Amino acid sequence: MISNTAVQHLIEHLGKENVYVEKEDLLVFGYDSTPGVHHLPEVAVFPTTTAQVQAAMALALRESLPIVPRGSGTGLSGGSVPVQGGMVICLTRMNRILEIDEANLTATVEAGVVTLDLFNAVAAKGLFYPPDPGSQKTSTMGGNVAENAGGLRGLKYGVTRDYVMGLTCVLADGSIIQTGGKSVKDVAGYSYRDLLVGSEGTLGIITEIVVKLIPPPQDKRTMLAYFSDMRTAGEAVSKIIAAKIIPSTLEIMDKNTINCVEDYVKIGLPRQMAALLLIELDGHPVVVAEETEGVQRILKEVGAAEVHIAKDAAEAASLAAARRTALSALARVSPTTLLEDATVPRSRLADTFAEIERLTEKYKLKVGTFGHAGDGNLHPTVLCDERDHDEMHRAHAFYNELYEMVLSIGGTVSGEHGIGLAKIEYLQRQIGDGGVAVMRRIKQAFDPDGRLNPGKIFAEPTTPAQNLEEGFRVSH
Amino acid sequence: MSHTDPKENLIGNFQAKDAPDYEAVLQCMRCGFCLPTCPTYVLTNRERSSPRGRVALARAVAEQKLEFSEAVKDEAFFCLDCRACTTACPSGVRAGEVMEICRTQANAAFPASGMQKGLREFILEKMVPSPALMETSMVPARLYQKLGIQWLVRNSQVLKLGPKWMEKAEGMMPKLSKPLRLQLPDLVPAQGQKRGKVGFFLGCVMTLMYPEVSRQTVRVLAHQGFDVLTPKNQKCCGAPHMTEGDRDTARKLASENLDLFMDLGVDYIVTDCAGCGSALKEYEEILAGRADHGRLEAFRAKVRDISEFIVEVGIRTEGLQPVKASVTYHEPCHLCHAQGISAQPRKLIKAIPGVELREMNEASWCCGSAATWGLKFHGESQQVLDRKLGNVQATGADYLVTANPGCHLQLAWGLREAGMKQEVLHLMELLGRAIPE
Repeated sequence: MISNTAVQHLIEHLGKENVYVEKEDLLVFGYDSTPGVHHLPEVAVFPTTTAQVQAAMALALRESLPIVPRGSGTGLSGGSVPVQGGMVICLTRMNRILEIDEANLTATVEAGVVTLDLFNAVAAKGLFYPPDPGSQKTSTMGGNVAENAGGLRGLKYGVTRDYVMGLTCVLADGSIIQTGGKSVKDVAGYSYRDLLVGSEGTLGIITEIVVKLIPPPQDKRTMLAYFSDMRTAGEAVSKIIAAKIIPSTLEIMDKNTINCVEDYVKIGLPRQMAALLLIELDGHPVVVAEETEGVQRILKEVGAAEVHIAKDAAEAASLAAARRTALSALARVSPTTLLEDATVPRSRLADTFAEIERLTEKYKLKVGTFGHAGDGNLHPTVLCDERDHDEMHRAHAFYNELYEMVLSIGGTVSGEHGIGLAKIEYLQRQIGDGGVAVMRRIKQAFDPDGRLNPGKIFAEPTTPAQNLEEGFRVSH
Repeated sequence: MSHTDPKENLIGNFQAKDAPDYEAVLQCMRCGFCLPTCPTYVLTNRERSSPRGRVALARAVAEQKLEFSEAVKDEAFFCLDCRACTTACPSGVRAGEVMEICRTQANAAFPASGMQKGLREFILEKMVPSPALMETSMVPARLYQKLGIQWLVRNSQVLKLGPKWMEKAEGMMPKLSKPLRLQLPDLVPAQGQKRGKVGFFLGCVMTLMYPEVSRQTVRVLAHQGFDVLTPKNQKCCGAPHMTEGDRDTARKLASENLDLFMDLGVDYIVTDCAGCGSALKEYEEILAGRADHGRLEAFRAKVRDISEFIVEVGIRTEGLQPVKASVTYHEPCHLCHAQGISAQPRKLIKAIPGVELREMNEASWCCGSAATWGLKFHGESQQVLDRKLGNVQATGADYLVTANPGCHLQLAWGLREAGMKQEVLHLMELLGRAIPE
């Protein structure tokens, strides 16, 4: 339990308005967007400068409190859930865009800047920051870097890691490291920057980020194709890639998702179709025109049931509507929505869909699958009710078996959500004991006492499993 | 899990009567899509003052992980009930409604006693602004009764009125003329070829503070070819009572209006007040299990906002005269978020010859009025308002058009205080100007 003196100390350094100890405040820092995990911190602080982050961390060390960094809490693997209590350091009040450097094509931001705000700010200067995780309106840059967030444009433009040039980070001992910067090339020693990207708050607390910007594409075409069987859709994806065409968006939705969307918005989607692909091509107008033709040809070749090409932006928006509505439509079906991010080599998409279908049947579940077909990143989404223990049990068995298959074909247990709490066991299966041991040694080098976001990525050998629900329980 | 204890009459730590629906609360998947749309979250950057946080508090109360505490009550009243989160929510959670219900819970959990004298005196004395109004000295009393202020006064201990509320309230009052309700004929006949018969739901604030606006609405409806029936004995829609957590009175009013309008035999029930429209469309839920389901459905099927209605039946543009003006449009929360009506007002504006519509940024962001919220949270309301005024200013438009009296009061006051040139017009006033006398 945090002492009153410690709270006073925090208030002195951070200001009263940036320190929360009331139960109602703590309760809402007990979750992120991951179903079924809650745990209360003892205190939550909102530093507004890197120095304040240091001060808060020094205090946490003195009080032996675990430290859990947090952005907007939109994570999908439990990364910002304070499973062992302690101090939540929420970075949303460090939300200044410090610089947009048009000479070097970089932007320097504080960790709490909202992803879409950065996108808009650089767009106003004719520049482009491509990573667009589904939660970009809410998620923070710090969270994106810590989780190495992906998004719809990953296929052509890559993920957050591909844009991080430099980081400022507070380490567990309170010292600050700066790694990388505005130099395009940098091979000076180990790349701490690359270790910190995707480290989920376990190695340090990122407070400032330098990102790379690129010129935006000049033109864009949107098309939508329907398929009467999943295998053909998978084939279309493989052939588009094999034809050396890299769309900016290549999204897929299965029959269940199409039907859930149609139930919800009634926009006349063909319910009998097995899959739809939303394809966006961008770049120089001449290239876009050429690639549009190429994609059309492939769609015809493989035998897509229907192809629609948008004539203008309004029509493009209407074609994209179904995909945009996918999550909403699925999330309304049941109280609990389990959203996973199994990712496979693109050539194995059709097999993966077949396996999802088989397992859905086997475990008698309601599953809708959509995702970023172009980069093999799928979101098989189980629609269930967390109060139904048997159903939850079957859902976990479903993912368990699915991940077995995914790993057997060279896929990964997480394409873009991270390991956090949710996938500790799967990670071990993917990288083996040896892999986990190396990760542990890296963790130890950065954070020998295990203060930073304990219990994430791999199970702590020293700490017993926590009863998460108990931690959530508070009373007067 | 939610726990029902019939002996104690509780659902979890909620009173069983008017408890939030546990299923509705459970539906939240905490994705956080609501956060950037919530004015109180953006203002405070405090999770518990966000829709996601508020729903989590309600869930914790239902699951007996939290008492219905003072902080839960505070959040219930700090919520603007602007419903922007409802529009943003992928899984269909209606956090505003959950908070509205929590206000009722708050009144049960923290019963108030005594009266706040100042408020009552303000209503009864300061709201009597001119000798002309003394003739109809019913006005202040009616305001007091109909706007739910009576209830508000009785329960004023629940509220934390900011020190400046009274000054602002006084400044907001438009120049009052005679209430419209008693002046409007029971039937205003359709002009030209008749297209149908509508019942006009005349909101309390409209009749008392904006009689000229609703007079225009009736003109517009007649010009569009509809007989307009305005029953004099209609009651308040119940929205103020819902807002302040008095669901019993709201239900009583709703049930009287239901009977009155269903017996009129009209094709549609039309209102020019977004707040009333939104409340009327919720009668089906408010009165669920208390009135015949078929009758509630039939009522719901008839209710339309005026702009929704005209666009649906097709605007009759013959005889419209040009109105030379540039306008920008502020979307009332209870129109765009609560009723999903966003395109129709714009279509109407564009249909008026001579009018140029200049879109403002964040047109659907709340103006900070939100019933009595703008008085209770004076400082916060000013910040929300300033954001809106900045967006209005950037358009350089001559007029600020909106479609709800609450927004109208707040925006007109704000523009005046800021010394800005725009005049606020209800969409029906603008359309009215296009109809020759």
